[in-house]
Amino acid sequence: MALTLLRGMRTPVSLRSNTGLFFNVLRPRLSHFTTRAESAQATEPKAVPKSIQLATKEAAEQNTQGFEAIIGIETHVQLSTVTKAFCSCPYDYGSQPNSTVCPTCMGHPGTLPVLNERVVECAVKLGLALNCEISMTSKFDRKQYFYPDLPKGYQISQFDIPIAKKGYVDLDLPVEFGGGHRKFGITRVHMEEDAGKLLHSESGSYSQVDLNRAGVPLLEIVSEPDMRTGIEAAEYGAELQRIVRYLGVSNGNMQEGSLRCDVNVSVRPVGQSEFGTKVEIKNMNSFSEINRAIDYEISRQIMLHKEGQADQIVQETRLWDESSQKTFTMRKKEGLVNYRYFPEPDLPEVVLTTDYIDEISKSMPELPEAKRRRYENMGLSMQDVLFLANDDNVAHFFDSTLEYGADAKLACNWIMSDIAAYLKNEKLSIHETKLTPLELSELIASIKNGTISGKIGKEILFELIAKGGTVKGVIEEKDLVQIADPAAIEAMVDKVIADNPKQLEEYRAGKTKLQGFFAGQVMKASKGKANPVLLNKILGEKLNAK
Amino acid sequence: MTAMLSAAAAIPRLRLVTRPAARLPSARSNWLRPLSSATHVTPPAAAAGAGSLEPPDLHRLANAARISLTLQEVEEFEPKIRQVIDLFGQLQAVDLESIEPSLRAGTATGSSLREDKPETFVNRDAIVEAIPSYDDPYIKVPRVLNKE
Repeated sequence: MALTLLRGMRTPVSLRSNTGLFFNVLRPRLSHFTTRAESAQATEPKAVPKSIQLATKEAAEQNTQGFEAIIGIETHVQLSTVTKAFCSCPYDYGSQPNSTVCPTCMGHPGTLPVLNERVVECAVKLGLALNCEISMTSKFDRKQYFYPDLPKGYQISQFDIPIAKKGYVDLDLPVEFGGGHRKFGITRVHMEEDAGKLLHSESGSYSQVDLNRAGVPLLEIVSEPDMRTGIEAAEYGAELQRIVRYLGVSNGNMQEGSLRCDVNVSVRPVGQSEFGTKVEIKNMNSFSEINRAIDYEISRQIMLHKEGQADQIVQETRLWDESSQKTFTMRKKEGLVNYRYFPEPDLPEVVLTTDYIDEISKSMPELPEAKRRRYENMGLSMQDVLFLANDDNVAHFFDSTLEYGADAKLACNWIMSDIAAYLKNEKLSIHETKLTPLELSELIASIKNGTISGKIGKEILFELIAKGGTVKGVIEEKDLVQIADPAAIEAMVDKVIADNPKQLEEYRAGKTKLQGFFAGQVMKASKGKANPVLLNKILGEKLNAK
Repeated sequence: MTAMLSAAAAIPRLRLVTRPAARLPSARSNWLRPLSSATHVTPPAAAAGAGSLEPPDLHRLANAARISLTLQEVEEFEPKIRQVIDLFGQLQAVDLESIEPSLRAGTATGSSLREDKPETFVNRDAIVEAIPSYDDPYIKVPRVLNKE
């Protein structure tokens, strides 16, 4: 025992220069706050930062009258493994309470944790996706605190040697928020276990615990304090969600609590090097709530600064209340919590090999950032790019459609307009519909080569998406081939003109916008199959021929 | 042991112990001196040798472990715990400068990982039976609301 502890004690000696070490527990030191972007581009710390954050900073300064906000985020991602982190209990969200438990996750004496290999795999995947250094050797530690949802009295986590550290994430802000590319630093990614769920009885006289979630694997991602506005923070969260979904390590569902963001916000006068007192905000269930909660909190703190009441900003945890659109004090932090971390004696260190990491690197899918850059290079607009890359199912569908030879812009237009509208209405994901990438590419080709008109194309699309089938099949079955024979169109035009002498008279009297009326009538007569270019050409000639 | 102790006086202390107090204390260094004042750093000279670590504060220890001790129990345990801490004092004195740090005691041979295959614990009834206060299907605990 003594030997174990002694070895444990030596750990910090070799790592004492690691400033990222205490991020979870203690207020980071100042040097810690130099943003990655600044340190990468400015050789001297005091040099004017030519950072990519500059644009937002300027914007923020204008809105915040001489103050700037510093935002850092801790994100917990619940892994979509079949079993828990340290025991073989299955985990399914929504199971009967206390049904998926065993002596290990219940913290019974004499039980031993055994690490799930998938947890390591997920951690390495996410670490690589976040451009982190992967620790070839890392270890688990016990974080000790007493709470009824924590059966063992400690959480198995990683303290001083996380599995991944020093990474970054690239993202693009939405066009409607002014756009722009951002790079935010990632301090660390570590593996840990979740606690159970605590519910409060209706009478409030006692609380209830469900331990199904106890021991479920989590990855905690700690960002550098690189964000300056609510939208930057929200987009950081959204990008993490995209990444975990692309990787398939988590469903990233915020409502179910599979992705939780705790946000730290502080405010300081522009030019001041020290940081203001930081406030933690919890209880945000969507990225737009994160955005609004942070912007509210920033203005609350700036207000206090301007009223000379900066001392009213205290280190505390505040909860976002969606109904009142405000943050409220949940608890004041009285001093620092001492978690009395020490190395987990029941688990061996986690040793990785380069082969293992190489293998995972090779299996990595194309990530959102790479996809966005690729789509951008195809000449698509940023709005298109962001839409397509937002959901990996959509991106996959789009890529497959292109593989069948479809034009990128046309495929994108179909996906973003009619297909997206259908998915929204039916609350479906693109891969859940009956439309296949092959048929979308066929549809686009059929319009391009003049077999069908764009209008008929839409009809066919709705048929395919709801019922399936092929473009060729639907065209044949419904006799939808475009009428491109000038003689046939001319006959229809003649008939429509003959049937509408009054309108013809008005047209010839100068009401030329009636051409639209005639075109509509001909199109109707052709059941939408007339080639619109030909139709308008012939119609124009006929109408203007006296 | 005596030889080790006398040698220890001449040996430089571990850097962790002699580290200046300028920085914020880490949770780790708190742990090394169990529950003693976080900002306190033992001066290097006085720190050498066994028993140099802070004596145990039984009240803080008991509080951290969520147990209550009678005065008599405090008196009874204090010397015992002091002995344990003194042992750490001796261990701290060992010169490790030239030794490659190891994360963990011992080395696991082969993979210590588990396949992600579910196995439902069969004797759930026994688990439920062992729960002191069970209110089907929940474990019943005293009221906790925003209490840390």
